[in-house]
Amino acid sequence: MKVKFILNGKPVELDVDPRETLIDTLRLRLKVKSVKRGCERGECGSCTVLINGNPVISCILLTIQINGAEITTVEGLVGDILLEKLAKNFIDNGAIQCGFCTPGILLTAYAGIKQGKIKKSEDVKEYVNNLCRCTGYVKIIEAIAKTADEVWGHER
Amino acid sequence: MSVEFMFIGKRTPRKDAEAKVTGMLKYTYDLEVPGMLIGRIVRSPYAFADIRRIDVSEAVKMGAIVVTPSDIPQKPYNPRLVSINEVTFKDTYILTYKPRYLGEPVAAVAASSEELAQKAAECVKIEFEKIYKPILDPLEAMKPESPRIHEKIMKGDKWIEVENNIAARLDYDEGDVNRGFEEADVIVERTFKTGKRYHMQLEPKAVLVVLEPGGKLTIYTTTQTIHNTRILISQLFDIPESRINVVRVPIGGSFGSSIQTNYLVPIAVALALKAKKPVKIAYTREEDILDHSNFVFHFKIKIGAKKNGVFAAAEFINILDVGAHQVQPYPLLGTSLGWFISMYKWKNIRYRGIAVYTNKVPGCALRGYGAPEVQWAVETLVDEIAEKLGIDPIDLRLKNYVGKGEIFWGQGPTVKSIIKSDGVPELLLKGKEIIRWSERGHPSEKKGRFRRGIGVGRGFHTSGAGGPISGEVIDYTGCILKLNEDGTLDYITALQDHGGGTLDAHVKIIAEELGIPPELVNIATASTETTPYDVCTHASRGTYVGGECARRAAQIVKQKILEAAIRIIGRVVNPEALRIGYDKELKQAVVYVEGTDIKLTLAEIARTSWQRNWGTIGAFVSYRATSAPPSFTVYYVEVEVDTWTGKVKPIRVVAGADVGTPINPDMVEGQLHGGFVMAWGMAFTENTAYDPLTGEIMGRGLITDYKIPTAADVPTPEEFTVIIAKTYEPTGPFGAKGLGEAAMNPAVAAILNAVYNAIGIRFYELPVTPDKIIEALKEKGELEW
Amino acid sequence: MMYVIPEDIEFIVPVDLREALELVNKLNNVKALAGGTDLVVDLKTGRFKPKYVVYIGGLKELRYIRDNNGSLHIGAVTTIQEILDSKIIAEKAPLLRAAAEKFAYWQIRNTATIGGNLCNASPAADTAPPLLVYEAIIKAESVRGSRLISIREFFKEPRQTALERDELVTEIIVPYKDLENSGYSYFKVGRRRGYDISLVAVACAVKVEGGVISDVRLALNSVAPIPVRAINVEKTLIGKKPSLEIIEESSKLVVYDISPISDVRAPIEYRQYMAKLLTREALLEALKKTGVM
Repeated sequence: MKVKFILNGKPVELDVDPRETLIDTLRLRLKVKSVKRGCERGECGSCTVLINGNPVISCILLTIQINGAEITTVEGLVGDILLEKLAKNFIDNGAIQCGFCTPGILLTAYAGIKQGKIKKSEDVKEYVNNLCRCTGYVKIIEAIAKTADEVWGHER
Repeated sequence: MSVEFMFIGKRTPRKDAEAKVTGMLKYTYDLEVPGMLIGRIVRSPYAFADIRRIDVSEAVKMGAIVVTPSDIPQKPYNPRLVSINEVTFKDTYILTYKPRYLGEPVAAVAASSEELAQKAAECVKIEFEKIYKPILDPLEAMKPESPRIHEKIMKGDKWIEVENNIAARLDYDEGDVNRGFEEADVIVERTFKTGKRYHMQLEPKAVLVVLEPGGKLTIYTTTQTIHNTRILISQLFDIPESRINVVRVPIGGSFGSSIQTNYLVPIAVALALKAKKPVKIAYTREEDILDHSNFVFHFKIKIGAKKNGVFAAAEFINILDVGAHQVQPYPLLGTSLGWFISMYKWKNIRYRGIAVYTNKVPGCALRGYGAPEVQWAVETLVDEIAEKLGIDPIDLRLKNYVGKGEIFWGQGPTVKSIIKSDGVPELLLKGKEIIRWSERGHPSEKKGRFRRGIGVGRGFHTSGAGGPISGEVIDYTGCILKLNEDGTLDYITALQDHGGGTLDAHVKIIAEELGIPPELVNIATASTETTPYDVCTHASRGTYVGGECARRAAQIVKQKILEAAIRIIGRVVNPEALRIGYDKELKQAVVYVEGTDIKLTLAEIARTSWQRNWGTIGAFVSYRATSAPPSFTVYYVEVEVDTWTGKVKPIRVVAGADVGTPINPDMVEGQLHGGFVMAWGMAFTENTAYDPLTGEIMGRGLITDYKIPTAADVPTPEEFTVIIAKTYEPTGPFGAKGLGEAAMNPAVAAILNAVYNAIGIRFYELPVTPDKIIEALKEKGELEW
Repeated sequence: MMYVIPEDIEFIVPVDLREALELVNKLNNVKALAGGTDLVVDLKTGRFKPKYVVYIGGLKELRYIRDNNGSLHIGAVTTIQEILDSKIIAEKAPLLRAAAEKFAYWQIRNTATIGGNLCNASPAADTAPPLLVYEAIIKAESVRGSRLISIREFFKEPRQTALERDELVTEIIVPYKDLENSGYSYFKVGRRRGYDISLVAVACAVKVEGGVISDVRLALNSVAPIPVRAINVEKTLIGKKPSLEIIEESSKLVVYDISPISDVRAPIEYRQYMAKLLTREALLEALKKTGVM
């Protein structure tokens, strides 16, 4: 089945098996490896991608469902000011350990801050539910809250 | 000891941070090579069965490569090579006709796509000779009438009979326990039971096996030990080690699940050898849960104390539910004893340890290797004794704990050392103030729906398994450090970073030793053929053992740099006058002579050595630590119990760590945060439940029913305080000790002691799910319905 | 241990609702795919083995939230996040919003649809309790026409609805007029404080007029094969003056409306206990909102 979509700003046209999940299209066909496979039930969040700016679980989404959409992964946000701010705060705060959950969490936090859903620390716990086994989340929450404050802090 | 370090103790970004935030870092799961086949494992649908025949004809017709137990040398093995051969128990086969747990690999296929491999795996037909009722309770398993899960296994190179499904035993006696109990004024005896936890490391296990031209094997896999992986494959397939190269690949967390070489590695090797093509196997999460999980611990512990609070005797019965195969429960019997003995001065001890087979997923080490479980039990009992004696729980601990100057048993009876650094009093007393321990109140005073309580837990973990004498555990490491032609350094080691930043810590240690900025020290790629042997990155030995090895290499390199400097400078009469250090203005390491204008940058020395044909300056070090010092940790936790729903919330946490010198404070904090959250899951939600009739994991192993904490479950960052003791470990690199496991060990006890302080109920079975709390409140008559 | 969806399933993407209805009429053994957060997993694990999957998630004509003066009309393929973000729903059907807020987590909400949640017919369906309270009406269409199914008739068994073989849910109608000026509440309990499948969830709306309870509606999920209304509780409250005692007494009667089981998530006693507790709390909270208590 033919699908057309925009991946990280570039148009993509593919003929995919309709049973193909988005994560497989991204990882196996398009070699986008930042999208990680951590479970097959949509429980862990490691496979999060942004579709039209919203974070979505890609391991239980079929590629035919995203025809015409704009897909963003961390590879596509290199140079983006908000992502750079987020990444810097993650790095400076020591919020990265094994790194497997990092791309998914960055995308979720990015979308949350951009949409104004994440403006302070409490919002992080509400909107970022990706699983992390290493960090205990504390430094991740701090890094995201700091970034959110840098973006939205003037409102207070 | 208060020392000013140039780099150590400073918060620095990880070297792999950029690769991780851009998604560029490749884990084993991400690797691909052209022409590779996808392997899938055919698993037993029954927990305890004997197979008559495996019909692979349809899979073969499809064009898939297939291996069955008949295609593979039937050599029993143990996937974990950390113990010496003589005490290594071998009952696993690469593929088997006698599956002993539901999900055990019985055959494997490889095909050119995931889809085809899936199809091929599904058309493999298994005919069963006999299906037994699975045995899921170790006490059942030990009964003489129970069928034998294994009949004969190997111990070292000898075959032994297995009686009553007992996999291993360990007994220990010290002093006169009976007399000790007679002299005790107060005795507490309790039975403890844990759930069967699962590591839930985010990256599921994976392997890629490549056959190089010429027949050499290259293996990429999720492992904590590239060397033991190579040795095992060499032994299993009779291939010389020189024809196998295992490459270190970044790993998405491990927590002990890859100390052993995972079952999929030899299976992938078998497929690759048959197919003569590269083979990749990557687990689904379901398969990962079926591959390994933690042991189930059953403890019966009796402690006696005198009126004045001094402990008099202790008896510890430890029944370990191993699962269907041994991944070294025998050393776990030893470490459980070691953790127990090293908690407090019991004076008289009796220990009986039995490891028992059941038809469950094989148990393997999970962060702490018995310590979280033992320390939970001990710290609960110590609180009970304190209450009975009317002594403050903190004073009781300070009175009896094994501390500075005393013998520490870290990894079991053959690994002993004397404790040289001890931050326990500092952490207990400082933490006590911060949490406001004196205000915690008594459970009987607490009423209403939401009740708060404060609890304490004290524990430790070892830093590796070194010791002056070689015992039952192999523990040594090695590294290569070389000076490049421009003055930068390459640091090559087989140690793995699971995420805790251990290699970055080594870099800082090297930097500190040489006065060179850490940015100029490269962590080189590593494989078995380019690194000296390292046993495994486990037992919290990365910083203490690996870091010290790196420091010694740096010392050797320093010496050689100074020798080269002498040749360049010429005029210096006494080499001892040379100094090397970090020049803040030049931002480089320089060699200088005090009181003169002589100053040479490391870059100049390196370049000159190169241009003048003096040779490479480098060091090759193989290092065995002669000590395994404990890192002490203390947790104070305040929780709030909702007595209406049985749910518990963390309010405040004070985590204290004695790591000697903290190399990177960010990573120390990160380990404590992560350790606490893991302990929270252990206390309240984590368990893989087994269907009693079929031996299947309930919920199909989908993690919908294996809940680990999310960000919503943790305390707010402002309420999590970390205190680091001001100690210095003389045997560690710049005074450092490990932390990875100590960061979690005593937290469960602190959390559940806090629950007791809130609602006056103790729990002896984990996990303490909301319904258990409600049930207990009901029994106490405190429920409204 | 499914990794891939089986090969013998044919996927079809209709261009509009009409084509979709023709397909489900013409073909046998069809499943409709909207968001897929449940269905895709079920296809992978083999819980369902349809011959055809018709993708309707992209049909914009089925994605809307409209206020029709007295009732809201929600397109079946509207996502849960859209429901959560909607000002109309926040104002007119706050109970539905409350359930959407506790529905899984953000990523799932961006994909899962209200129609899918209902048609999946899990006993734990998050949107069911509020829709039962609002006495929502499900519009089911086929080539033969359309019909309206009361939500109280919609769920038959776990994973079985009242839909005919060739019907698709196209719209959910949420009458709100009756419950204007009512107090409402929603509680959901899981195993941890982070998101979870509900162990028990309760939605409640109550109206007090002339000092007595004139209307009370209470619905629960996860405590029976299908989501239920607690009619035994409701009938003891109608016409009564609200008081702590009467709430306590009537909450206990919820056990007659439920039939929970023990499973890997919770034992039966806990579900029974929590059903009673949450019923009481939901009633108290809803009454507090009316200002009466």
